[in-house]
Amino acid sequence: MSFPKKPGGKATDILQNLPRITLANLRPEPGSKKLWKRLLASHGGNRSGRGHKGERQRGNRPRLGFVGGSTPFYLAIPKYGYNEGHSCRPQYQPLSLKRLQYLIDLGRVDPTQPIDLTQLVNARGVTVQPLKRDYGVQLVDEGADIFAAKINIEVQRASEGAIAAIERNGGVVTTSFYDPISLGILIKPVPFFLRGQPIPRRMLPGEDMVPYYTNAENRGYLADPEKIQQARLALAQKYGYILPDISKDELYHMLSMRKDVRQIFFGLAPGWVVNMTEKKILKPTDEKLLKYYSS
Amino acid sequence: MFLPRVLHCDRRKMAAFMLSRRTAVLCRTLKGISASKTVLPANSQCGLLLQTASYNPRPLRLNIRDPYIPDKDSEKTPEWQKTAKYDRKLFGRYGSASGIDPASLWPSHKELDKIIAEENEWHPPLEVMLKNIAIKEKAETEKRLAKEKLIAANMAKMPKMVADWRRQKREAKLKLKEEKARRTKLLAEARERFGYAVDPRSPKFLEMVAEIEKEEKKKKKLLKRRLKEEQAAGVVQPPPTSS
Repeated sequence: MSFPKKPGGKATDILQNLPRITLANLRPEPGSKKLWKRLLASHGGNRSGRGHKGERQRGNRPRLGFVGGSTPFYLAIPKYGYNEGHSCRPQYQPLSLKRLQYLIDLGRVDPTQPIDLTQLVNARGVTVQPLKRDYGVQLVDEGADIFAAKINIEVQRASEGAIAAIERNGGVVTTSFYDPISLGILIKPVPFFLRGQPIPRRMLPGEDMVPYYTNAENRGYLADPEKIQQARLALAQKYGYILPDISKDELYHMLSMRKDVRQIFFGLAPGWVVNMTEKKILKPTDEKLLKYYSS
Repeated sequence: MFLPRVLHCDRRKMAAFMLSRRTAVLCRTLKGISASKTVLPANSQCGLLLQTASYNPRPLRLNIRDPYIPDKDSEKTPEWQKTAKYDRKLFGRYGSASGIDPASLWPSHKELDKIIAEENEWHPPLEVMLKNIAIKEKAETEKRLAKEKLIAANMAKMPKMVADWRRQKREAKLKLKEEKARRTKLLAEARERFGYAVDPRSPKFLEMVAEIEKEEKKKKKLLKRRLKEEQAAGVVQPPPTSS
C-alpha cells in the first residue's frame, strides 16, 4: 500500500508508532500528588490530632445521631406520609440535553441511527439500575438552548421543554414503556443472549401509566399518530419556532423508525433466540408459539 | 481467528496485530446483534480515515475450546446442572456444540398455556385498561360534581338560614329579658306584701304567685267581656245612624 505524503514527518510517525496509552504508561504530573505524611513525633505526633483523653482520643464515640441521651432529632420529629411507599415508586434516571449533546459531539452516540436506551448505555451516557426501581431514562430540559442535533430518540419520560428542543432541530421523540424484565434485557443484551432464552414480549404499562403513554402531548408510543402531529404543531406554536417538515428530510426513513408495542430490540422480534457463538438467530416454527409471540 | 475488517498497514505490524485481535472480538460480539454501531478502530490507522470513537466492548470469553458440558446420566453431577435452565445457558454459551435440542429452549404447549393464562389474568389488554380508566374517571367526575352541587345548593340556602338563626337568637334574648323582668316584678310584689325578702322557692311565694295569676285571669275575663259588650254596642249603634 502506498500512502500519499503527509505533513508532519517523523514526529507523527513516532507518535503513531508508540504503544497505546494504558495505566502502565501514565504517571501524574510531578508535584501534583502530595504524599501522606505519617504522624511521627514533634507536631504531627504526641496526641496526633485526636484531642485529650475521652472517647474522642480513644476512638469510642457513640453512633451517628446520638445526642447524649435525650431523644435525638431523627426520632423526635414525627413521621408524615411524605416518603410513604417511596421504595415502590418508579424512578427515571435523568438525561439532560447538555449531556446528550456532549455524547453526540464526542461520537459516543451515533445520531444517524435511532437512539435507544441500549445505545445510551453502550455509550456509558447513563447508568440504569432496574433492580433499584428504575424504569428507564427521562429527558430533562437542561441544555435545551445549546442543543443542536437531529435525532430519533426513544426514552421513557420526557419534559415538554426537552421535546420542544429536539423537535425544533428536526428530530423525533418517543416515550415508551419497558417493564423491569424487558429493561434488564434492553440495557444488557449480550448477557441475556448468553442465557439462551427466547426474547420475551414487552408488557404493557399498568393502569396508572396508560394515560401517560396514550397522551400525544407526551409523545407516548400508544398515542394516535395524527394527534401526535397536532401536538407537534401546537408545541411549535407554544414555544415559538417553525416546525421543520421531516418528511422531506433525507433521513426520513431513519427518523420514522419506531419499535412495535411488544418489541424490545430493533430488528429482533419476540420469540427469537440469538446465539452469540454461532452468530445465528433461531426462530420458532410452532403455530401456537408464533401466535403467542406475535399477538 | 478470522481476518478483521481493519486496514492492515505493513509498517505497524505490532500495533496492527494488537488492534486486529481487539477488533476481531469487536466484530464477533457485534455481528450477532442488529446493532447499528460501526466497527472502527479506536485510533485512526492512516490520516485518510475519519476518527469516530465507538464504545469499548468487554471481551466475550466464551471458552469454546474447552467447554464443560455436564454428563446427564452420571450421579456425580449436581442436580442443578441437569435442569432446563442450565441447558438453556449451555446452549447460549456453546451453541450446537453443547448437544442440546434447540426446540427445548421455547416453552412446551402446557407451559405456554400456563403463561397465556397468567398473562390474561395479570396483564389485561389495552382496551380493557382504557375502559377501566374511563369508568374510574367518570365515577370521580360524578362524585366531584355531586359534591359541588350540594355545596352550591347549601350556599344558596345560607342567607335565609343566617337570617333565621339571627331572628331566633333575638327572640330567645327577648324572652329571657321578659322572664327576668317578670321575676323581678314578682319578687318586688312579694317584698311589698310580706315585708321581707321571700325566697322564690318557698311555698308562701308560690301561693302568692298563684293568687296574682288568678287576679290577672279575672281581669282579663272582665276586659274581654267589656270588649265584647263594646263591640256589640258599637255594631248595634252604627246601623241606626247609617240608615
